[in-house]
Amino acid sequence: MRTKPSKRLLELTINGETYELAVEPQETLSEVLRNRIGLTGVKEGCGTGECGSCTVLVEGEPVLGCLLLAVECERKRVETIEGQAEEGVLTPVQQAFLEKGAVQCGFCTPGMVLASTALLKRRPNPSEEEIQEALEGHLCRCTGYNKIMEAVLHAASSAADKR
Amino acid sequence: MGDLEYVGKRILRKDGPEKVTGQAVYTVDLQLKNMLVGRILRSPHAHARIVRIDTTRARQVPGVKAVITGKDTLGVKHGFVETPRYPADQYPLAMDKVRFIGEEVAAVAATDVYAADEALRLIEVEYEPLPAVFDPEEAMKPDAPEIHPTHPKVKEPVMNIGGKTTSEWGDIEAGFKEADYVREDRFESHLRTHGYLESQATVASFEPDGKLNVWTSSQGPFLKRAKLAKTLGLPFSSVRVLKTYVGGAFGGKVDLFSHEFCAALLSMKAARPVKIVATREEVFTAFKHGQPLIVTVKTGVKKDGTLVAQQYRVINNPGAYRGSGVVVIFLAWGFAMPPYRIPNFKYEGYSVFTNNPVRTAQRGHGAPQLRFAVESQLDMIAEELGLDPIEIRLKNARESGEQLPNGDNVHNCGLKDCITEIARHTDFHHARGGRGENSSQRYKKGIGIGVSSYFGGSLIYPNSSSVIVKMNDDGSVTLLTGALDIGQGAETIHSQIVAEELKIPMDEIQVIAADTETTPVDIGSWISGNAYVCGNATRVAAGNVRKQLLELASQQLEASIDDLVLKDKKVYVAGSPSKALTYGELVALSIQTRRGDPIIGEGHWRTMRDEPTHPSLATTKGRWTENYAFDAQTAEVEVDTETGKVRLLRAVTAHDCGFPINPLLVEGQIDGQVSMALGHAFMEEIMMEEGRTLNPNWLDYRMPCIRNIAPSEHIDVITEQYTVGQPYRTKEVGEGYVSAILAAIANAIYDAVGVRLFSTPFTPEKILRGLSIYS
Repeated sequence: MRTKPSKRLLELTINGETYELAVEPQETLSEVLRNRIGLTGVKEGCGTGECGSCTVLVEGEPVLGCLLLAVECERKRVETIEGQAEEGVLTPVQQAFLEKGAVQCGFCTPGMVLASTALLKRRPNPSEEEIQEALEGHLCRCTGYNKIMEAVLHAASSAADKR
Repeated sequence: MGDLEYVGKRILRKDGPEKVTGQAVYTVDLQLKNMLVGRILRSPHAHARIVRIDTTRARQVPGVKAVITGKDTLGVKHGFVETPRYPADQYPLAMDKVRFIGEEVAAVAATDVYAADEALRLIEVEYEPLPAVFDPEEAMKPDAPEIHPTHPKVKEPVMNIGGKTTSEWGDIEAGFKEADYVREDRFESHLRTHGYLESQATVASFEPDGKLNVWTSSQGPFLKRAKLAKTLGLPFSSVRVLKTYVGGAFGGKVDLFSHEFCAALLSMKAARPVKIVATREEVFTAFKHGQPLIVTVKTGVKKDGTLVAQQYRVINNPGAYRGSGVVVIFLAWGFAMPPYRIPNFKYEGYSVFTNNPVRTAQRGHGAPQLRFAVESQLDMIAEELGLDPIEIRLKNARESGEQLPNGDNVHNCGLKDCITEIARHTDFHHARGGRGENSSQRYKKGIGIGVSSYFGGSLIYPNSSSVIVKMNDDGSVTLLTGALDIGQGAETIHSQIVAEELKIPMDEIQVIAADTETTPVDIGSWISGNAYVCGNATRVAAGNVRKQLLELASQQLEASIDDLVLKDKKVYVAGSPSKALTYGELVALSIQTRRGDPIIGEGHWRTMRDEPTHPSLATTKGRWTENYAFDAQTAEVEVDTETGKVRLLRAVTAHDCGFPINPLLVEGQIDGQVSMALGHAFMEEIMMEEGRTLNPNWLDYRMPCIRNIAPSEHIDVITEQYTVGQPYRTKEVGEGYVSAILAAIANAIYDAVGVRLFSTPFTPEKILRGLSIYS
């Protein structure tokens, strides 16, 4: 019979807000975000780090929430898809995904958007090869990736136009 | 298409903002108060009698609130097909026998997943293993273990036949005698799966007043409601299936699944909501994949390439229950007969039980396997006769207005245009043989073509759709439709149709969809009929509203209806824009002058409204569809003759989808299907051994990632049109483009390196083996 591990108090900063939660040590970041805080924009497609749906940003870097323990994220800045748009205004990456038809069922979309956003921050003018490298860990079964590639390139070039 | 403002335009999806912001709620995301976690106990044996099940110890685990086995059910069977000839054959929980590894034997609901898994561990099941068989041709042999008795209508001495389809016209033997050249080839397709990103999931909540609320990742709530109600013994009105977003389906979420039944029954027993989410490993090992087909095709032609006779023998491997097996052998016939004229034809299809997990529809539902066979062979025939692939196809391709042997008419058929356009676009004849550059290189290029046809909204009972359009007091509209978005954009295209018929902006249309309680019936998003069937129902409902608006305005403005124009939520007199009434004013007018009646429009539509019923799955007799979509696809490949690896350099799709209601969505569908075909051709294979899945994860079942992006081009061949107020015949776009491309790839590989492949996937091993034969 399983003995329940004792919970510990954890302070997490998610999308700029601080949460104080009681979590079990083996709970993944995905589980805590989805089940304890209700941020279900963090998707789970496999739970074993193979599909990229659970991608969130920790200290600005895309990571797989299903492979990270929540306790590892104490004192780290965590961002989910829900924290991207500000007061309903979509980010350039979100807008580009919409305009280019890069969204179909939408399940891979949060992970794709976050990884693309992180890429463009790092490399404002990425090549197709760099986009492939940034997104190769994200499975999409609907789009064939063609319009996703177009969306990221478009987000990059329209941000360049604004500069 | 006249001055259309919405239909035919690249309108952005209505549900896009919800999806890019993470607001869209999928079944896996739902949390209800007091919700329990459900888990399923599955058979470890491919074939066994259940001697005894004891759940006593499981029930004692703290946190466990309900445990069920077959004995707790009503013993009512279900099936993808439920007809007098093919009655339902599967229990939601096994009763006395299990017939595949992974078959559902028991289920538990507990306060957390650990308690649930502990309970599963403590359920004692005693099995008596039985001999099992996994290959369909082995399963047909007289000494094969019996999984189910052969169907009573099949009189041949073959075992384990779940169903048979036969079709014949002309005189097949005379046809072959008349032919100048005859060849017979056998093609095999492999086991592959849908790979939807959102796992299978259900939340069921049985309320104290007797209402069962269900949220489930599906392809249509009405079919789920019907099967749940039946197996649970509840009246339809007691079961409500509500809308959730669906993270992909591709045919894998159509009919009833055990976990849906179990979540509901567990909820009824525990008096609390129950959520069951399949692990990805469960999806790979125990859930429904696509159906491999063995296609033997014998074709006779005249020396000028004219098809004279074609004979098929198709063997399916649907797994341990009938599943959609009897549909796919009917559909394989359905994909064999539309594209080319075949004067003498004979078809036999067998659906054979094996002790594998039950298989189901997967995008294309038989077309990829069938067209791969036919189109590969056609190229071989062309080569033998000294004809080129384009020539031989144009010679036999159907034309507009042709009657098909089953009584259907192809109406406007753009097949020849698809073929000529794609040949021109790719400079096909020059591209062959790597444009003459292939002679002494490691990397050799080639181009190939394939042709296919798909149905749009067929008459599987009761493929009808009903829609309600309600005008609100401010002139905006609420659209009530049973149609379900599974990623294809259902809500968007129906809004476009309403927007066009009523000249209302897209954001003034609110869509309420896919709820069996509040929205009218729709068959679901799995029969390639959403755009045609539900779309026309939407058009009728909106047209009804337009009629009321015009009548009211005509009276008030004292103008003839013919002189009235609809624009920007107003009705005005042509030439006198100041003589106008807003829709809001017209709603008020309706209430004032029509005894309080608001403006509501109703629309109903069914494909082939004059036909009594669907065609026979067994004999193919009867009208099937009034919409045949056609396409030609080419593939340009580069083969590495040292490693056998193949790169897809360019895929072109020339498609007659009727007309695109939303070209942006259409392109997305084509791209997705080319990607799926790429996976099918080179990367994906469910490996099984004695009924056990060897690669139940995404690392070992390799689906295309962005590194495998296939350059995908589209050529529109528009054969239909949309006119406001008129019925329209658009075709389909969600399933038809995953087939011809497969043959095109096979033909391109042959063009590049002279290796002919008779089975999928096109592995490096097969290509190297073929190369070594010729070296």
